[in-house]
Amino acid sequence: MSTAVLPAPFKAEFDPNSQEFSLSGVVRPRSADEIAASISLLRDAINSVRGVFYINVKRLVQMNNTAFHAVARIILDECRTRSDLRFVVVTSSVVGWTERMFGHLNKIEPQVSVEVYDSTFYPGQSFVEDTSFIPILRAQTKMTWRHERTILPRHGMRPGIALADICCGIGDFAVLAQKEFQPARIVALDHSKPSLAYARKVAAEFGVTGIEYTYGDASEMLLEDNQFDFVTCRHSLQIFNQPELLLKELYRIVKPGGRVYITNEKNSHCLGEPRAQSIQWTYNELARLLSHFEMDVELGPKSRHYLADAGFDDILVESFMVTNLDGDPQDFADVIAGWEKMFAAMAARHGEAPEFIDRFRQGFRDHIFAALHPKGYAGWPIWAASGRKPL
Amino acid sequence: MVVAEQQRAETPFEPLLQFEMEMGAFLSDWHHCDHLSTFMARMISHNRTDPVRHSNFFSSALNELLEVSFRGGSSDGSIGCAIYRHEATERVKLTFPCPPGQRQFYQEAVSKTRRGNAYARYLDAISTDFAPSREAVLLDLAINFDAEIHLEENDPPTITLVVDLPLEGIVS
Ligand SMILES: C[S@@+](CC[C@H](N)C(=O)[O-])C[C@H]1O[C@@H](n2cnc3c(N)ncnc32)[C@H](O)[C@@H]1O
Repeated sequence: MSTAVLPAPFKAEFDPNSQEFSLSGVVRPRSADEIAASISLLRDAINSVRGVFYINVKRLVQMNNTAFHAVARIILDECRTRSDLRFVVVTSSVVGWTERMFGHLNKIEPQVSVEVYDSTFYPGQSFVEDTSFIPILRAQTKMTWRHERTILPRHGMRPGIALADICCGIGDFAVLAQKEFQPARIVALDHSKPSLAYARKVAAEFGVTGIEYTYGDASEMLLEDNQFDFVTCRHSLQIFNQPELLLKELYRIVKPGGRVYITNEKNSHCLGEPRAQSIQWTYNELARLLSHFEMDVELGPKSRHYLADAGFDDILVESFMVTNLDGDPQDFADVIAGWEKMFAAMAARHGEAPEFIDRFRQGFRDHIFAALHPKGYAGWPIWAASGRKPL
Repeated sequence: MVVAEQQRAETPFEPLLQFEMEMGAFLSDWHHCDHLSTFMARMISHNRTDPVRHSNFFSSALNELLEVSFRGGSSDGSIGCAIYRHEATERVKLTFPCPPGQRQFYQEAVSKTRRGNAYARYLDAISTDFAPSREAVLLDLAINFDAEIHLEENDPPTITLVVDLPLEGIVS
């Protein structure tokens, strides 16, 4: 059988500092004896802690009943002898059966509880996973695609490849890429259910088939190692609080010799004329505001650094400016109008004063004014970078 | 009951994929269960709403069924597995040789998955058994995968487990 079906390696690890025992990969033993070492590690780990013992199964891809019973038995037995201890099983909403299976342990011993780690796991999540984000993403991709369709081939996009678009949002990039470059396979992953639902609806309405939209956490993906020729992750490292974790996963799923392509902004460099000052003030404030949500919207020029640290070689970096002159200036204005609404809501959430919010909004309006002005110019700079996974 | 049986027989399930293998070859390597379930899950999930997660779920369930036939298996005859689909449900039909003494065992295990106390039995199995019995595995499928399990009457020495898995609804 092909290497594609080789099981992901199974790992059991214990970190005494966080009192966390983690199981990952595929564990389908014929008998509990095969995993005896992991089972005794679990027992010893439990005996070495006080308070709360965490069992992390976020990256557990498969576990058969034989392994589940063996693990459950240890936990339940220890509950009976260690009434001082609480057990928290940390599952993910992506692998639905782990939540169900481990959830039963709570019915037997209330000392065991299950937490779904990705119900709220990064600070900007509630804004990004809201349906009001959908029109912004639509408008943005319409603008950026004009540039990226010529940029992408330089970074490794070509017909016939296996492509993954990670943090795909509403999936229109995947659709455009499919039309323009005819990859053999496209997987598009995001953690926003509303965005994915929208993506699937659009695909169905336009008769687009063959894009595998999947729900997942980009920092803990179910996708196997070395699967894709080209992996894209657009405008997303900058909004997740641990970009290096995302990159590590992108690195893992791309084939050796394949490339990972990322785009990011440097928001403080958005510009416009006339009304340059007001525009500049707002975008400086925006970068500052978003840093409170642990988003680094200044990440663009740091792409080279991030890619190098993640182990990529042959790194290419280029930048391009989306402007009001690219096509219909109204498209540009629509993007900025979406930003104004969303970022004003975030400013309010962060507790900014009404006077601040007024001035903050004004900068976006001035940016729109510049975009629609007959002699105006408005720009949004973006950094596109890629690196190769060494052979 | 009779009406339900009839409906089940008449539902227009479409065949998706099947394999047949000599029992001796199947039993030669435990990893066949893992490899076959992973491979088949991927093949049949590509046009589900969320192919990656559907495949993960389906592989879990199919692997348990293959393990059941592996554990109970003798090396005569062959194992056959066919997968069908109707709307949000996949049907797995697994046919494998079953010694005469075990037929009744399967009949009982299957009917227990549909009794009112199935969940209590399942919890009991988790809290007391060190290794899961085949009965516990079928309960797991009924409880964690919402499976409906039946036994198809065919001539000895084989039996056929028919397992309906409404995973599309659970996954998406
Ligand atoms: C700014 S949007 C960009 C979307 C899309 N790439 C585009 O350019 O239109 C960021 C996306 O990243 C997704 N996202 C952020 N963190 C994620 C994570 N850890 N796992 C999966 N998706 C994530 C969000 O749900 C959102 O759809």
